[in-house]
Amino acid sequence: MKIFSESHKTVFVVDHCPYMAESCRQHVEFDMLVKNRTQGIIPLAPISKSLWTCSVESSMEYCRIMYDIFPFKKLVNFIVSDSGAHVLNSWTQEDQNLQELMAALAAVGPPNPRADPECCSILHGLVAAVETLCKITEYQHEARTLLMENAERVGNRGRIICITNAKSDSHVRMLEDCVQETIHEHNKLAANSDHLMQIQKCELVLIHTYAVGEDSLVSDRPKKELSPVLTSEVHSVRAGRHLATKLNILVQQHFDLASTTITNIPMKEEQHANTSANYDVELLHHKDAHVDFLKSGDTHIGGSSREGSFKETITLKWCTPRTNNIELHYCTGAYRISPVDVNSRPSSCLTNFLLNGRSVLLEQPRKSGSKVISHMLSSHGGEIFLHVLSSSRSILEDPPSISEGCGGRVTDYRITDFGEFMRENRLTPFLDPRYKIDGSLEIPLERAKDQLEKHTRYWPMIISQTTIFNMQAVVPLASVIVKESLTEEDVLNCQKTIYNLVDMERKNDPLPISTVGTRGKGPKRDEQYRIMWNELETLVRAHINNSEKHQRVLECLMACRSKPPEEEERKKRGRKREDKEDKSEKAVKDYEQEKSWQDSERLKGILERGKEELAEAEIIKDSPDSPEPPNKKPLVEMDETPPIEKSKGPVSLLSLWSNRINTANSRKHQEFAGRLNSVNNRAELYQHLKEENGMETTENGKA
Amino acid sequence: MDDYDKTCLESALVGVCNIVQQEWGGAIPCQVVLVTDGCLGIGRGSLRHSLATHSQRGESNRFPLPFPFPSKLYIMCMANLEELQSTDSLDCLERLIDLNNGEGQIFTIDGPLCLKNVQSMFGKLIDLAYTPFHAVLKCGHLTADVQVFPRPEPFVVDEEIDPIPKVINTDLEIVGFIDIADISSPPVLSRHLVLPIALNKEGDEVGTGITDDNEDENSANQIAGKIPNFCVLLHGSLKVEGMVAIVQLGPEWHGMLYSQADSKKKSNLMMSLFEPGPEPLPWLGKMAQLGPISDAKENPYGEDDNKSPFPLQPKNKRSYAQNVTVWIKPSGLQTDVQKILRNARKLPEKTQTFYKELNRLRKAALAFGFLDLLKGVADMLERECTLLPDTAHPDAAFQLTHAAQQLKLASTGTSEYAGYEHNITPLHTDFSGSSTERM
Repeated sequence: MKIFSESHKTVFVVDHCPYMAESCRQHVEFDMLVKNRTQGIIPLAPISKSLWTCSVESSMEYCRIMYDIFPFKKLVNFIVSDSGAHVLNSWTQEDQNLQELMAALAAVGPPNPRADPECCSILHGLVAAVETLCKITEYQHEARTLLMENAERVGNRGRIICITNAKSDSHVRMLEDCVQETIHEHNKLAANSDHLMQIQKCELVLIHTYAVGEDSLVSDRPKKELSPVLTSEVHSVRAGRHLATKLNILVQQHFDLASTTITNIPMKEEQHANTSANYDVELLHHKDAHVDFLKSGDTHIGGSSREGSFKETITLKWCTPRTNNIELHYCTGAYRISPVDVNSRPSSCLTNFLLNGRSVLLEQPRKSGSKVISHMLSSHGGEIFLHVLSSSRSILEDPPSISEGCGGRVTDYRITDFGEFMRENRLTPFLDPRYKIDGSLEIPLERAKDQLEKHTRYWPMIISQTTIFNMQAVVPLASVIVKESLTEEDVLNCQKTIYNLVDMERKNDPLPISTVGTRGKGPKRDEQYRIMWNELETLVRAHINNSEKHQRVLECLMACRSKPPEEEERKKRGRKREDKEDKSEKAVKDYEQEKSWQDSERLKGILERGKEELAEAEIIKDSPDSPEPPNKKPLVEMDETPPIEKSKGPVSLLSLWSNRINTANSRKHQEFAGRLNSVNNRAELYQHLKEENGMETTENGKA
Repeated sequence: MDDYDKTCLESALVGVCNIVQQEWGGAIPCQVVLVTDGCLGIGRGSLRHSLATHSQRGESNRFPLPFPFPSKLYIMCMANLEELQSTDSLDCLERLIDLNNGEGQIFTIDGPLCLKNVQSMFGKLIDLAYTPFHAVLKCGHLTADVQVFPRPEPFVVDEEIDPIPKVINTDLEIVGFIDIADISSPPVLSRHLVLPIALNKEGDEVGTGITDDNEDENSANQIAGKIPNFCVLLHGSLKVEGMVAIVQLGPEWHGMLYSQADSKKKSNLMMSLFEPGPEPLPWLGKMAQLGPISDAKENPYGEDDNKSPFPLQPKNKRSYAQNVTVWIKPSGLQTDVQKILRNARKLPEKTQTFYKELNRLRKAALAFGFLDLLKGVADMLERECTLLPDTAHPDAAFQLTHAAQQLKLASTGTSEYAGYEHNITPLHTDFSGSSTERM
């Protein structure tokens, strides 16, 4: 689509000469007498509009429809012509609204019937129109600046709609010649100017209007090329509603509009509130909203039968909305609308309904009798749009479910935590420009990306990969450490969190350490704390460069955490399970490397899980697409006493053997629920009684 | 009688045209592969004949090209270039591509006609038209390798200003999140499945992780299924929270990621592309102006998540939202006059509404230069004054006379009384009740 087509600039030139003050000779009854109150009273005589009034209100209606559907980039310049040209507004976007134009027209007032007709002419206006078409709009300026050396790609085309009362066909020809000549002259001027643009194409639409009952002295003429730059067409129209109808047809042609009639709108009757009748409302919008209809017929884009298609309206049936469910429809286009009859009761009922935030689905009646929802009417911020919904077959039929793909078998994603993360990373508009410290413009969207970068520096995806994010006690630190800067209070809270953890360690409180990928019971308590401290350090270290205060949190952490002496560490290294922590310690040094160990660790865990088929027992309900776990054993073990053989240095051959046999056997039968959930090989009976009494149960390490 | 045993490319293309439109509508891109021996048929219905009569078509027998849907026409010739060039066949086939707005390509066989060479020709087509689109989905440091299906098509914004087709990035960077209610069924160019894929070190695709029962248990797919993947996490949370992720596709080009449910059990991560440009959705405003909520003075979503900064309100209201005055149909004018009259009969209770409606009519009449109407309504109000019942409040008569007088003054059109911004205000009378003013 071209932005700078003829429709970018429209100049209205309306004749303001004395003869325009004449009546259009179409009467309007304005004194409608209400029954039972007015016996014996003669209604006031009907009045009639002048040619000027008819011209102005028809052109305002043209602008109303245009502004409703194209509030931006389609501009109008309004010129009134009598003894001189009065340019009522400019191309700037601020001047582009009905109120401005109405106020300016009121200032001009109706034509003075007693002015000297010899001094007055429409020519003043036409010359001014050409002049104004050479003036650059803010959109043209912006595009030219952006394109730099390709600035010549920005077109300058326009349309002049001239409403006048011409004397004869030769008078019309004289007007055309004048426009032709003026363009020629002004293009010469524009060629030597930086502020003006040459007119590449101008469409002149001459509308000769005359009082009803008179004979037209001017004949209609379809569009004709007068020169490579200028085309002209002549419409001879009676004033009053005929003129309004003509301009309505023209606005549809000029802006590629089409009409849709919403039918079967149920509306309460004004008089009888408990009955309702069905109404129709006609709307205008860009014709692309009908693209499916146009293509399914034999009409193709740019069809020749232009005139004919405008009489047509496509009827869509109102479907009363049943729910207020918010759904994401597959919508292929959304087009602003404008009601044809904006003030009629059915129109305003429909628009108010939509402006109040309800959406309406529209049904396309098909010849076969089948029904299909093809469109939706919905308002966004006080603007109503006709949404085109896809009603043809989708090429994405029956796709594989995400749970069948990569990562689909993993069942303990931190779905809730990521949901919280998404809410914290929601977007909001910043309309006023903000500046960075160095004075450069700050782009809010870049800030959003920065925040995502910070928030994800250390973000384990699954519950069994993390300890700290399963601990309520860490939340005060974890929620603030990701911030760009910390307040003193934040630092204090972080420190408190760390002291609290030290306290927990001293009291030997259990930790929600994952047992995924490990045989038997999890690591010993002191090892659990080591894992936890390491992970916390990884998190804090990832943010130390944010600010000096972040650094202070790390200092506190390093001072408080209990690190086993180096020797002890080496002693323990014999055991396979230790690999994880070793790697994690290395990773602490650089969070960038963090991911790679996570990946290898993940892979290892998965492989082991695959072998041991432990996975089934470690499912978290959190992931909506996961298969329901057959057995809801908590993922994270809160083991009170680790098995004795585990704590005794190297594993004996016997225990290796019996472990293997046990796992092999366990595959063959389902373990008693009691034994599975037992603590220290003792199962508590009638647990459900407790639950029913409202006792808290711990699951997933979270209270 | 229809012939089905002779070469008639035009009817074949018409058939394709109808089938595609019936089945898929006019918006879905379609690749049409025409396999031919390079012979164009003879006589009526031959391609030569079709092309010769191309300029004489009307609406009823329109030539099927260009296809009325986004398309690529691939012509696979079971002949080598030399054979085709010996006649005008190649020229005619090239005309077809031209008629399809240049969308498509002709393939010929290299060397002699044999199975191997035909396979290699189709291999070229596959490479050109059916290579999967691989990308990396990023959200800060969280990433996943993905395949985007179907392949996103390049998009031309404006042929005149910006004629270079835009292609989407292979880095799909999430910039933030928005509630489904706020994004509100936006118009999109196309939508695509985002499938996580497992890549080996060389970057070759190992598998999509889709399990196949017949395969070895330890197959690559099995392993891939059990490695945590960011796509699955993202999908799960988007689904639970009812949100979409805004993703940057290129400079000034965005899209959204969301969970799309195919059925109750199956759902998927989908990506829809917005139209390129700084402001694809008016109700979100300019994309570059969207920032993190933590930068706002107070949370625009409210402490209890009960508000939203969207939709953005446009500066000017549309005509249907601002009570414009349109008198093109007599009924429009009559309704407005009736409103004034109805309120006039309920003075002084309805003083405010009476003057509000009166001023609305006055403004429109002045703008349209319809001064006769002002006179007419003034006369009408004076008549109403004479018709007031004895029980009427004395203030009613004062207000009606005052209003009629003011309208008459405005109808003279003199600048003193006919200012557009001027409003007729209620007359202060001893009855108009503002006792404080009299003190």
